[in-house]
Amino acid sequence: MSENNKKKKRGKWSRRAFIGIGGLAGLGLVVGVGGNIYLSRNANRFSGKGFGEGESLNAWIRISPDNMITLAMPRAEMGQGVSTSLPMLIAEELEVDMSRIQLVSPQPEPAYANTMLLGGGPRDIYSSLSFMEKIATFLPLVATGGSTSIPDAYDLLRSMGASARETLIQAAASKWGVDKSQCYAENAHVINKSNNEKLTYGELANAAAQIKLDKVPELKPKKDWKLLGKPIQRLDIPEKVNGTAEFGLDVRLDGILYGVIRHATYHDGAITSIKNLSQIEGMKGVKKVVLLPDGRGVVVVADNTWRAKNATVALDLEETGNKTLSSADIDAQAQNVIDNKIIATPKDKGNATKILDEAENVIEATYDVPYLAHACMEPINCTVLVKGEEAEIWCGHQGSSIMADGVSAVAGTAYEKIKVNVKYLGGGFGRRAEIDMILNATYVAKEMEGTPIQLVYTREEDIRHEMYRPYVKSKFRAKLNGEKIEAWEHKAALQSVGYSSIMRIKPAFADPPKKDKSSPEGAAELPYEMENMKMAFGQIEAPIQVGNWRSVGSSQNGFFTESFMDECAHAARKDPFEFRKNLIKDTRYKNVLNKVAEISNWNQPLGENKFRGIALCESFGSIVGQVAEITKLGDKQISIDKFYCVIDCGRVVNPDTVEAQMQSGIIFGLSAALYGEITFKNGEVEQYNFPQYEMVRMDVAPTIVVHIMDVDEYPGGVGEPATPPAAPAIANAIFAATGERIRSLPLKKHGYTFV
Amino acid sequence: MELNINGKIHNVEVEEGMPLLWVLRDELNMTGTKYGCGVASCGSCTVMIDGVATRTCTLPASVAEGAEIKTIEGISTDGKLSEVQRAWIEHQVPQCGYCQSGMIVAAEALLNEIPNPTDEDINNKMTNICRCGTYNRIRAAIHSAAKWKAEKTDLLD
Repeated sequence: MSENNKKKKRGKWSRRAFIGIGGLAGLGLVVGVGGNIYLSRNANRFSGKGFGEGESLNAWIRISPDNMITLAMPRAEMGQGVSTSLPMLIAEELEVDMSRIQLVSPQPEPAYANTMLLGGGPRDIYSSLSFMEKIATFLPLVATGGSTSIPDAYDLLRSMGASARETLIQAAASKWGVDKSQCYAENAHVINKSNNEKLTYGELANAAAQIKLDKVPELKPKKDWKLLGKPIQRLDIPEKVNGTAEFGLDVRLDGILYGVIRHATYHDGAITSIKNLSQIEGMKGVKKVVLLPDGRGVVVVADNTWRAKNATVALDLEETGNKTLSSADIDAQAQNVIDNKIIATPKDKGNATKILDEAENVIEATYDVPYLAHACMEPINCTVLVKGEEAEIWCGHQGSSIMADGVSAVAGTAYEKIKVNVKYLGGGFGRRAEIDMILNATYVAKEMEGTPIQLVYTREEDIRHEMYRPYVKSKFRAKLNGEKIEAWEHKAALQSVGYSSIMRIKPAFADPPKKDKSSPEGAAELPYEMENMKMAFGQIEAPIQVGNWRSVGSSQNGFFTESFMDECAHAARKDPFEFRKNLIKDTRYKNVLNKVAEISNWNQPLGENKFRGIALCESFGSIVGQVAEITKLGDKQISIDKFYCVIDCGRVVNPDTVEAQMQSGIIFGLSAALYGEITFKNGEVEQYNFPQYEMVRMDVAPTIVVHIMDVDEYPGGVGEPATPPAAPAIANAIFAATGERIRSLPLKKHGYTFV
Repeated sequence: MELNINGKIHNVEVEEGMPLLWVLRDELNMTGTKYGCGVASCGSCTVMIDGVATRTCTLPASVAEGAEIKTIEGISTDGKLSEVQRAWIEHQVPQCGYCQSGMIVAAEALLNEIPNPTDEDINNKMTNICRCGTYNRIRAAIHSAAKWKAEKTDLLD
């Protein structure tokens, strides 16, 4: 079966409602129709801005006379290794060594659209674009998220490399007057087989650029790969060990001033006046005090971030807003939503509700998880310069097109007059796909035309005012029939992430909450066979913004479904692994589950006071199974010793990166499971810095053993899929250790401590 | 005030209370040392002061007058990476990389104090936050660096 057919056959993608649509309207319609659109000039249209010298063979590849290869890197490097894995895809087919590659961050132009973010499936280079893919390309959404970078680019970038290589070979053949079959490419040279004569790509680039291909060259078979599937060292790491890597917050420009924001305290409120304005204006270093539109915040601009911060703390404000909002109100509302206000039923197979209503011995449980902040290591920031009709922006951001949108919307700058500089991101996790920092920074920069403004959210502002992973309450009912699940019902109450986030970016494209794709992620489709299954949800109304948080809907649904699955196993008096295994038909799920049981020696007894828990989740096209191993040190004192993690992400690009992302996703999931909660009291967020919003550190972090399955299928994502199983694996281990079923996170509120 | 940073004297005119972090970042444009929390909790702002790992986001710069301050920019000598930096590359430690300046400085200080640290020593001394969760690789890299230092392995790239 061809790779293309396999991809179509797979067809099961947890499509994610994401961040909306960027726009570069000035560039016009660029979508080709019919096959091979990626070979057309239009689809590759780009300005070449920022590429430096050399000849472009397409929007992604430029070759300089000294044979350096410059590749476009339009995805955001936020730690997931994308600035190595995407170049690997090109380099494999282009036949160049990684050491010869340099990267540029291009402008957010149509050639770099992430069509998968809106299209739902991997890009199909062998046929025309779907309607949503056309939209994504027409109004280019140049963005990084949803674990889509590899699935989106996997065929496209290999084709870009192969096409460029083919034109270089043809150029050499015609120079030598031989048939192209007499030539081959290796390490950025074309070689004449008959006499071993060599030409560098740099010498051939001009001629190659004139050659138009009529079809995508055949891609290399897996057995011939030199880079793909190998643990390639990351290109960004050398500058991340000596302090030279430039993050958004490290941007330094002539005349730069630093603005620190203080948001309106209440999430639905506004700042109506600054009572001590003249005092603030008189503080050392303060240059300007800017009240943001709608009173959503005040920015104090000074010559030093610390001085600006001190001034924001000294602000005496008059504010409006709901001063009584509390987490208890939201919790109470959630129960009513589940009972009376279901708005969507994304899964309704068989007669789950009827069977459960009539059955005896129904297993019932209600779960909830709190709001969560992203808490990127680098606090949110953005630097903007507005100068006459032009503007420039520097930001570590997940969407270069969103950066341009924000500047254009606030400063009125035409898109072609905006220069976008994407810096390294000190963590993204979905937070850096938001537009607030861009709108706020641009507003201040416009007020102070000609001066570059670096807007900084202090850690306190970063944690207290953001777009949280929603609070979610889910009620489950199940009926067993022997060792099978005869009926399963899941009703959830939450705020729609898709609606909330897209309303902030492109309201016209926001689906109503009932069509939210993220709410049922990891809940409507499970690895297990069930005759009767229902998943439904309703909306909580709260003046709190919610957003995409690493693994999105699966971040809560993984915990809910895999904990409740454990409850079902317990009720059936079966081993949690065996119970799950007997419910799985799909080979890929079964292989992952078996493998994680095997590498964790599931069937061997553990030592004294040692216990384990298991979980299995699919998200973003990849399947992850985990086993957590813990030691019970005291009544509620737990050592998290080890995590075993098995992933099937289809074909692997860089196995070292996959391992790193599994470790990363597990720690991220554990920080939330152990400690993470954002709560409201008297209308305010109660947590404001790491001491109240704690993270897993070295002493608590488990040893993580990763196994990557060798599966010859189209690749899935790896940035997020390790997060969903982490919480249920640990909660299930705690049940095994203590008999206490944890149905509400974080664990710390149940009195657990971790060493 | 006069600050000795990476062997070089810098004169800065700032108020007494300004934390060293903001002198480094905004007055001297030495941005390798990072702001993470401002309350000495996360450790992104760690530098060595007379060889001791110190969080600088709450430490008035004036307190560091007369001491030897070493930041991430001063860890390599004559362009040659330290054992810790080399181990960080060998083990492919950084992900987003934002916390790694502080982590590397903390690891340098740890190995100065305890040349052959146990896992328990690492737990006790490496208390910074890495939101990407690179802890396993940090631990492995510290053990490698300790070994190379002990063997005086020549680290030619």
